[in-house]
Parts: sequence; structure tokens; C-alpha cells
Amino acid sequence: MEKSYIEKIQIHKTNKVAGLHPATKFLVVIMYTICTFVLSSVSLTKIDLPLLAIPWFLVVLLLCAASGALKKCLKALKAVVFIALIIFVVQTFLVPGGEVLVRFGILRICEKGLRTAVSLSFMILDIAGIFVWLFQTTENKEISRALEESGMNYKAAYVFTSTLQMINILSDNSKTIMNAQRARGVETEGNMFIRAKAFFPTLVPLVLGAVMGSEERVLTLEARGFSMQGEKTHLFNLEKSGAEGTFKAVSILITVLVVVGRIALWIL
Amino acid sequence: MDIIMECKNVTYSYPLTKKPAIKELNLKLERGKFYGVIGENGSGKTTLCAVLRGFAPSFYKGEIEGEVLVEGKKIGEYGGELAKKIGFVFQNPFTQISGVKDTVFEEVAYGLENFGVPAGEIERRVIDVMRMTDIEHLAEKSPFELSGGQMQRVALASVIVLEPDLLIIDEPTSQLDPEGTESVFAIIQKMKEKHKTIVLVEHKIDLIAEYADEVLVFKDGAMIASGDKKEILSDMSLLEQGAALPQVAILGRKLQEKGLPLSTIPVTEKQAVEVIAEALKERKR
Ligand SMILES: Nc1ncnc2c1ncn2[C@@H]1O[C@H](COP(=O)(O)OP(=O)(O)OP(=O)(O)O)[C@@H](O)[C@H]1O
Ligand SMILES: [Mg+2]
Repeated sequence: MEKSYIEKIQIHKTNKVAGLHPATKFLVVIMYTICTFVLSSVSLTKIDLPLLAIPWFLVVLLLCAASGALKKCLKALKAVVFIALIIFVVQTFLVPGGEVLVRFGILRICEKGLRTAVSLSFMILDIAGIFVWLFQTTENKEISRALEESGMNYKAAYVFTSTLQMINILSDNSKTIMNAQRARGVETEGNMFIRAKAFFPTLVPLVLGAVMGSEERVLTLEARGFSMQGEKTHLFNLEKSGAEGTFKAVSILITVLVVVGRIALWIL
Repeated sequence: MDIIMECKNVTYSYPLTKKPAIKELNLKLERGKFYGVIGENGSGKTTLCAVLRGFAPSFYKGEIEGEVLVEGKKIGEYGGELAKKIGFVFQNPFTQISGVKDTVFEEVAYGLENFGVPAGEIERRVIDVMRMTDIEHLAEKSPFELSGGQMQRVALASVIVLEPDLLIIDEPTSQLDPEGTESVFAIIQKMKEKHKTIVLVEHKIDLIAEYADEVLVFKDGAMIASGDKKEILSDMSLLEQGAALPQVAILGRKLQEKGLPLSTIPVTEKQAVEVIAEALKERKR
């Protein structure tokens, strides 16, 4: 027999990590973030560099790999690495203070500069990285459904979901508009400056379109019983992979260990 | 007479405007009838739809005088429940999607989810409506990737699936090509066969002439004429008021003036052919 439509819109995942309930994934993300902050407060080496945040990034890679989504995640991580790198370079050379470590002509690296560079860039890399894992292994509709399940107000959940959807649509639309402008002879490729010049005009139809549609959108929703009182039906339901308990326990355990270790370091 | 909706001396003005957009409207909508609404641009047709659905003043704010009654009860007393009674479809197909669903199936099911209808029943009703509106082949596509005509059919399906007694449709085809227009009217025709009450705003007068039972004519916010479509659409004095009339009606009147003894003024092409053929035969004799 053919599958019913309701069956077709469900998401079944065989991978136990990727298939974790979004709430569990979210707990992992929170715990990981707490650990990141604690770990980057530990200073090592003679000049007090917070080096622990560097190997800590391996956890993100491990999670991505265990979810069977390493390739997809690495693609998304490229942008994060790029931003972290820029921050690293800028901070290293620009923040003065402490002993001067190296000098190339007018450029010099100071102790404090290197310290903030390492701390900031790896903190960003770690935290953005764990969110990449969350969003690359979870579909928008799973996140929305989890928010509703957690008791979030349906209006707030709507805003969140439609924003996620809109991001996809807007990026598609901006490509369409870019193509249209290229067809009219506007240069859209080349260096940053040329791209920026081509980009801003695309924003106008993009934003105007989104704003003009919003009034009718509200009325459309209203006509479909958006503000109806009472229990709503949900055709899409979240599934559990079975590994939720383990992941919750392990992530809390590691966080506790990290925090205890940090406190012990202070006291000793 | 079974009245589904009634406006008693309704005057409505948008916020910050002095001139009312709807003036002293008295209107009774009879259950099961098809009302075509015509009038020049800015005459208040869209505003009428908003008033009949209660969006004016609940959403647009502004000031309203008089009473709008739905099955004898004031429209303001229904709240969110009104979605069950009145379906609303408007002009722009592209803004009439919920924006939170990935597939057409889920999009059509969205209203029923809000109503709390059990999942099994939702599936059944949605499939029925998708068949009726000829969108079943699109069921698994993203609602954002449809053509205007397809989107308008999805918008209609999303409303029809709620089984409202009254359907308000504002220029559903103004952005569609002839083929899209035809597919939308095929759906409206089916709703008519199901004896739904329909209020349709449409500039394409020939479509009104073909489908409507009654015609309401608006000008400057006032309803200047209303009644049986044959009467209204053959009333040449309305031409001076800026209303469009079917070409065949104008032709019929001119032929009559030239001395061809037409029994009535035709409003649709089919009628015209019959009436003129009959008159010509008469003359030969
Ligand atoms: N949101 C609004 N705020 C203030 N005035 C409005 C608003 N919408 C419409 N109006 C005014 O109300 C009057 C009636 O407009 P309405 O949109 O109802 O006309 P219409 O008959 O639907 O025209 P069209 O054939 O162009 O769709 C117009 O004078 C218009 O300027
Ligand atoms: Mg209008």
C-alpha cells in the first residue's frame, strides 16, 4: 500500500546521534558552551594562553562525524573558521599590552594581543561550531516542533519558524534578483566592492516584497484559524533515537567534571 | 429566506481618513447564492470583503457604524471561530501561504491543525480537497515553488478544506493567465454546486455574467445597484457610473435600438447567440 501523506512528512533517522530529540541536542549545546567558557578561563604556558579551548573543538568534529554529517558540517564550518581566523589576526596585531613577543617592521605581537586572540577566536569557533552541529543535523521543522513541545507560545513559535523558512526563501530570492540584475548588465561578480555595490540594490525589492506581503500574511493566517482557542493537532511528531538518556548523562557529567576541575585549580 | 449575513446601515472608514470607504451599506446575503461584486478601482470592493470577514475594523482598526450580523449574531462576538464560518481568499497568490510549512499537503492541512481536527480526518479531508482543486500532483512540493495559478489553487484549497458556509473571494484571478483563471473558476463553480454562499469580486465581467446569481455594484463606497444579474448587467445607465458591463449586453441594447426585436438583453455569449438567432428568425417570417 502507498504510504499516507502524514507518514511521508515524518522524519525517520537511523543514525542515533543525528536522530537525538532536539531538546537533548539543545542540552548538549548548552553544556558544551558552559564547558567552553570554563575551559577558556584556564591559562597555560608561560604567557598564560587559554589553550584548552583548542583541543575542545575536537568534540564538535567528533559529534559531527558520529552524526554521519561530517562533510556537510565541514562545509558550514568553513565560514566559521574564516571569521575566527580574521578575528585571530586582527586581535593578535592590534591589541597592545604586556611584553612584545615578536616584531616585523611596524607590526608587533604583544602578549596580551596573543592572549585575547586565542581566547576570542577559539571561543567563537567552539560555540559557533556546536551550533553548526545542531543546525546541520536537525531540520527546521524539528526545531519548531520542539519549541512548541517545550510549551512555547504558538505565536512566538510561529515567528521563529517563519523566520527560519524566510532565511531560505530570501537567499533564493536574492539569487533570483541578482540574476535579474546581471541580465540588465549590473556587475555582480568580482571583488568585494563590486559585489557590495550589486548587493544593496537587491535588498530593496527583497525587503519591500517581504514587508508588503506581511499584512496579507496576517490575514491569511487569521482566515486559517491561527488564533483559534483550544488544542491544535500536530501532523508532524518528533521521534527519539533511544540514546537521549546517555547523551544527557554524559554531557552533564563532563560539565560537572570540568567545573569541579576548574574550582580545584583555583583552590590548589 | 435564509439569511447568512446581514449588514445594517454599515459605514466604515479606515484610520486617519475622513471619507468613509463603505457608506451606509444595507445588504442581505442569502444562503447558497453567488454574489458578484463589481465597480471601478477604489470603489470599496476590497473594503467590503474586509468588513464582511470582520477584518475591518478588528485588524485594520478604523471606525465602523451600523451592524454586521453573521447568522443573526454580531460578527465581533465570534473571535477566532469565524474562520470556521467564513473562508477568505484574496488577490495576491504569493502572500497567501502560511510560511511555516514545507509541502503543499501540510499547507492545506494547516487550518485543520489549528482547528484541532484528528489527524486521520485531516488526511482524508485534505486529499479530497486536493483532488477537487487539482493539486494532488503537487502535494509533496514546496508551497514556495509554485506558479501563480498553482498557488492560488492551493490558497483556495486551504480555505475550502475548512468547509466554511460563506466564501469571500477578492479578485482571485487578477494576477493569473487565462489558463490559471479557468482553473480557479472551475473550483468556484464546484463550490457553487455545493450550494456554498459566495461573494466574489471580479473585474472580468464576463465571468461574473456567467457564474453569479446576483450582482452588487459599487461606486465611491456606496452600493449603487444590486439585484438579479440579468437586470443589473443589462442596465445601461450603470455604464455612466463607471461600471463595466458585458460586451454582449451592450451589443444587445444597440441591436434593440436599431430595431432588432430582442426578447431580452443577453448577458452571456450563449444567451446572446440564442436571443439574436431567435430575433433574426422572427424577422424573416
Ligand atoms: N488600508 C487602507 N488604509 C486607508 N485607506 C484605504 C486602505 N485600503 C483602501 N483604502 C481606501 O479605501 C478606498 C476603497 O479601496 P478598496 O481597496 O476597497 O477599493 P477596490 O474597490 O477594492 O479597488 P480595486 O479595484 O483597485 O481593488 C480607496 O479610496 C482606498 O484608497
Ligand atoms: Mg480591491
